[in-house]
Amino acid sequence: MFKLIKIAFLGAIGLAFTATAYADFTFVSWGGAYTMSQQKGYIDTWGPVKDGSTKVSVENYNGGLGEVKAQVESGNVTWDVVDILPVDAINGCDEGLLEELDFSSWEKAPNGDSFLDSIPENGTGVSGTISPCAAPQIWWTYVVIFDPKAFPGKKPKRMKDFFDVEKFPGKRGVHTWPQAILEMALVADGVKPNKVNKILQSTGGTDRAFAKLEDLKGHVVHWSAGAQPLELVSSGEVVMSIVYNGRAGAAILSEGASFDYIWEGQVLDGDWVAIPKGSKNKAEAIEFLKHATTCASQAEQARYITYGPMRSCGNDIIKKNEPWFHNGIAVLPHMPTTKKRMKKSVVTDPVWWADHNAELKEQWAAWMAGNK
Amino acid sequence: MNQTAKTGILTTDGIPLKVSLRRAERINKFRAFALVLPLTLFIVITFVIPIIAMLTRSVDDKQINTVFPKTFELYKQWDRKELPTEEMYATMFGEIVNADKRAIGKASTRMNYSKSGWKSLIKKSKRKFKKIKEGPYKEQMIAVDKRWGEMGFWKALGEMVDPITFGYFLNAVDLKYDSNKKIIRQPENRRIYNYTWYKTVKISVLVTLFCLILGYPIAYLLATLPLKYSNLLMIFVLLPFWTSLLVRTVSWIIILMKKGVFNSILVWAGVIADENRMQLIYNETGTLIAMTQILLPFMVLPLYAVMKTISPTYMRAALNLGAHPMHAFYRIYMPQTVPGVSAGGLLVFVLAIGYFITPELVGGADGQLIGHWIAYHLKSTLNWGLCAALGTILLVVMLALYWVYNKVVGIENIKLG
Repeated sequence: MFKLIKIAFLGAIGLAFTATAYADFTFVSWGGAYTMSQQKGYIDTWGPVKDGSTKVSVENYNGGLGEVKAQVESGNVTWDVVDILPVDAINGCDEGLLEELDFSSWEKAPNGDSFLDSIPENGTGVSGTISPCAAPQIWWTYVVIFDPKAFPGKKPKRMKDFFDVEKFPGKRGVHTWPQAILEMALVADGVKPNKVNKILQSTGGTDRAFAKLEDLKGHVVHWSAGAQPLELVSSGEVVMSIVYNGRAGAAILSEGASFDYIWEGQVLDGDWVAIPKGSKNKAEAIEFLKHATTCASQAEQARYITYGPMRSCGNDIIKKNEPWFHNGIAVLPHMPTTKKRMKKSVVTDPVWWADHNAELKEQWAAWMAGNK
Repeated sequence: MNQTAKTGILTTDGIPLKVSLRRAERINKFRAFALVLPLTLFIVITFVIPIIAMLTRSVDDKQINTVFPKTFELYKQWDRKELPTEEMYATMFGEIVNADKRAIGKASTRMNYSKSGWKSLIKKSKRKFKKIKEGPYKEQMIAVDKRWGEMGFWKALGEMVDPITFGYFLNAVDLKYDSNKKIIRQPENRRIYNYTWYKTVKISVLVTLFCLILGYPIAYLLATLPLKYSNLLMIFVLLPFWTSLLVRTVSWIIILMKKGVFNSILVWAGVIADENRMQLIYNETGTLIAMTQILLPFMVLPLYAVMKTISPTYMRAALNLGAHPMHAFYRIYMPQTVPGVSAGGLLVFVLAIGYFITPELVGGADGQLIGHWIAYHLKSTLNWGLCAALGTILLVVMLALYWVYNKVVGIENIKLG
């Protein structure tokens, strides 16, 4: 009898251990609809997950390198793959917090382009990755939306309309950090989107952007969480707002909200995936990233969220197979990365922002403090 | 007889009683110590060590000094009137080329705090300097990136030449070192921390005050009403306390926004016109309302605990002796609640001063309190030195408050029940 209990007990412990051994591959991302699109787009379709040999546990975080740095410095790395912003990918790679990747054997594009060449644009003026530690994910964008009902007459069409409170009276929703709003201010000030980075980075560029922002003083409601701007616009608290396009796309495609976009002057920013230095499943993580960045996986993800695949081959698949969204609606009208829209977009320069992030954040905070 | 006097009283196994007693006591002491050992260890590991680490981080500038020691030596001799000599360029060149990749990444992050642009400059140089085989280096470095020819970048080294720095503390109050290590103010468009400190303390004080004004009568009712009413009231206090912080914060947004519940009721009742709806959220008002509601239980509960122990006979005696009820309340009842008021006040203030989720969601442009900046530098710029300095100042403010409190009220008077 005792022996039986003993065996059962040891067996249970053994089971518990194998169970944890299965679940120890950790993928970390931002949560919500975005993580769901990653889950369905390439986690569920990954070979080792399909055949049951690996279980990927998904965790949420709020961005930044804080957790990664703490894990790497303490030598206890529990994350295997993390979805990361360009600024953090660059800083993390410089500081040795992320593993460097060798892309030479990664999937080529159908037209024969190498893996890195199939990422056509990254904000720094050259193609390919922004950092040897970062594998491509998606383009998301800061775009202006409005409720067409708020403008019974003429509707705002261009970025300069967002900054024109006389022609289009009412409050504007703007986020509480400086990224994108400075680029948008320059577009509104008459700078061609493809010249924005050059002007912004030249002497006096940021001053020019801040000078243009004076037009908005007293007409801004600031938001800090991605769901807020949609609420602000639909409740009429503001007449227009800068939003993450994926949030707007989800509201329109899945919930039937009626928002219009102002695509001109949208500011594209990337999301990249990386492996924290010292990950216990490094080899597995590399295999996972190879799968997650195939043209097919990149396109598959766009069935669930309106962010643009970073590799152009992903876009090609969507174009050929419209309507592509999972509920049978065409997704391209909500995609920031069509050729026409890319022409009037600014692609944010992550290297420059990594340099100037802290300084401009402080300037922007001072601007907000004076904006009452 | 004589023998006993010499050796003292012996126990049955021949050891002197004193020794035996001491030994027994030592075992007891050891046992007692073993009992509190886990707690002591816990406090040391989770509290004392992190605080010491934070204090050291706030003045530690070693990470950069290990990468550019020779350049910094030359910097100290440089006159800072015109571009450095070829020797300094050559030293910088050598130290960049020979540096460990990871160490130089960290160093460039550090250098970027003193002047934006160092980060990409160092990174680009590390990559491109490999092609430069021999001197003179000055022109070749400037050819790689023209920033090497800018005085501003060279002068920015001045902030970092010492392994111990108060630069992070200066940054935390809108000051900085210039290239000669003299303390100057930050450029005007970057001054944000003093304003944030002021805003944080102001909001914390106001929230504490509002909590006291609202919480005192509630606690009084809770303590004096018959049990069946006071229990119901207690549930009203505790129910929101048990609800998620985010849910409560978002509820306030729904209630207070322009087309929200509160404004709509006022419009419906004809108090305000439809186009004059009040801006009650995404500003300081919203922050104060939401934070007061969220922190109220932390004021009510200690107050209630103290009021419960106050015997009603004192008040009755005072009234019996002819005091006006107001006077009796003021002279007899209130002084007895001071321990509860101080406990609740300290608790609310301490929680409020470090708050950042609620203000960030409901505060709009005003929502970034000091906790926001600590989190921002911790996660985004990795400027943990500045984080540590901000945190240390926060700690010092709290300790100062505690000291003042101890002087004025006396710490033995604090009571949670």
